[in-house]
Amino acid sequence: SVVRCQHYPPVRALQASAVLRRVSDEHKKEPFTPSSQQQFDTHPAGHQPEQEPPQGPRPSYTGQGGQESEDYESEEQLQRRILTAALEFVPEHGWTTEAIAEGAKTLGLSVAAAGMFHSDGSELILHFVSECNAKLSELLEKEQKLVQLGEAEKKPTDEFLRDAVEARLRMLIPYIEKWPQALSVLLLPRNIPSGLSLLTSMIDDIWHYAGDQSTDFNWYTRRAVLTGIYNTTELVMLQDSSPDFEDTWRFLENRVADAMNMSSTASQVQSTGEAVVQGLMGAAVTIRNLAGLNQRR
Amino acid sequence: PAGGAAPRPCSTQAAPQGINKPVIDRIIRVDHAGEYGANRIYAGQMAVLGRSSVGPVIQQMWNQEKVHLKKFNELMVAYRVRPTVLLPFWNVAGFVLGAGSALLGKKGAMACTVAVEESISDHYNNQIRTLMEEDPEKYKELLQVIKQFRDDEREHHDIGIEHDAEATPAYSVLKTAIQLGCKAAIFLSERI
Repeated sequence: SVVRCQHYPPVRALQASAVLRRVSDEHKKEPFTPSSQQQFDTHPAGHQPEQEPPQGPRPSYTGQGGQESEDYESEEQLQRRILTAALEFVPEHGWTTEAIAEGAKTLGLSVAAAGMFHSDGSELILHFVSECNAKLSELLEKEQKLVQLGEAEKKPTDEFLRDAVEARLRMLIPYIEKWPQALSVLLLPRNIPSGLSLLTSMIDDIWHYAGDQSTDFNWYTRRAVLTGIYNTTELVMLQDSSPDFEDTWRFLENRVADAMNMSSTASQVQSTGEAVVQGLMGAAVTIRNLAGLNQRR
Repeated sequence: PAGGAAPRPCSTQAAPQGINKPVIDRIIRVDHAGEYGANRIYAGQMAVLGRSSVGPVIQQMWNQEKVHLKKFNELMVAYRVRPTVLLPFWNVAGFVLGAGSALLGKKGAMACTVAVEESISDHYNNQIRTLMEEDPEKYKELLQVIKQFRDDEREHHDIGIEHDAEATPAYSVLKTAIQLGCKAAIFLSERI
């Protein structure tokens, strides 16, 4: 299947010195289980064993370029490992160099490794977003396989969209305190192209798995609507203090329902418009006839 | 919203991994736009000349274009390609071109057909060359489709010539203008 997992490589690639990269010693000992990935292993479907060669870093995304030989790790892969490890420290330190430094420490690297990245945490945030999107794609792919195998019911579109957006937003929960900071960093001009690109491919993924097959302007309308729903729900979530964010999910449900209504309303408006026009035409013809009758007298 | 009782080829076998996505994206997007536009052109021509003697000929060519469009709709879904934003514009512009050329008479309509079909055949030939340079094996199915369609379009072109397209007044001016328009449409649809 075409599973598009976009990853955002860290922008600033200083040549990592030998001090930073004690990789061939360290990664052989280190099992690669970042905390943020644990939440999704409860999903029962798909009994494929996780490929986790203990001696090499595990590429997180399908379609990635080939894995190099076991004891060589590209700079990009190293940076991703550091960022993934850093996520554990974000709730405490925020999206900062401190978190990255702590992450580097857990991998047995020097804290100077954090110097590879921007001080505002841009790469960390983009990496996180990209990881979440990849997880969402995996989740949706698994669900789809279940439906195809007949082991699950196909959901109606509104429920599907709701569940997908909820699943994706729930990934923010461990980091919710610091998420407003992340959003403001994502709005920096430097990060807007990547942030936008990650957002659009996520929304496209959700619609793809929802079964969207539009090949006309609807393609854009649907994605625009869903983007709006996602963004507003995310903002609501940041302000939500209800237990397990139930207010947020209710808001989401209402927005999705609105969107469904909108599309049926649009077609209703059109058919109403057509009916009105026909009514007017009929009235005009009637009046003309009546006037004609008058004249013939 | 989509997703009715029809089977959903979401993770279809027709869309393989390891393809040059940007190139394929462009190809499918512009071809889809082209077939969509061609449909609208013939629709415009039929609106004016539907009841004339060339009506059946135009209708037949239109039917073939409908088949082409259907195929590209399928490919678009299979390869997850975004359609061009300009579709609503091509909708109107195509119809106007078709109707406008038909208002110049039967020969005018045929001249328009000749110009458009020639542009499209050249365009398909370029794409075939690109795909052959990339990897003929990997893109075998797509190549087959494009070759078939190119042959169909050439046939339309020949039909146009048979029906006295070249006898249209100001034929070369008309043809050049239309082909310039086609080039612009192709350029834009590939990108936006």
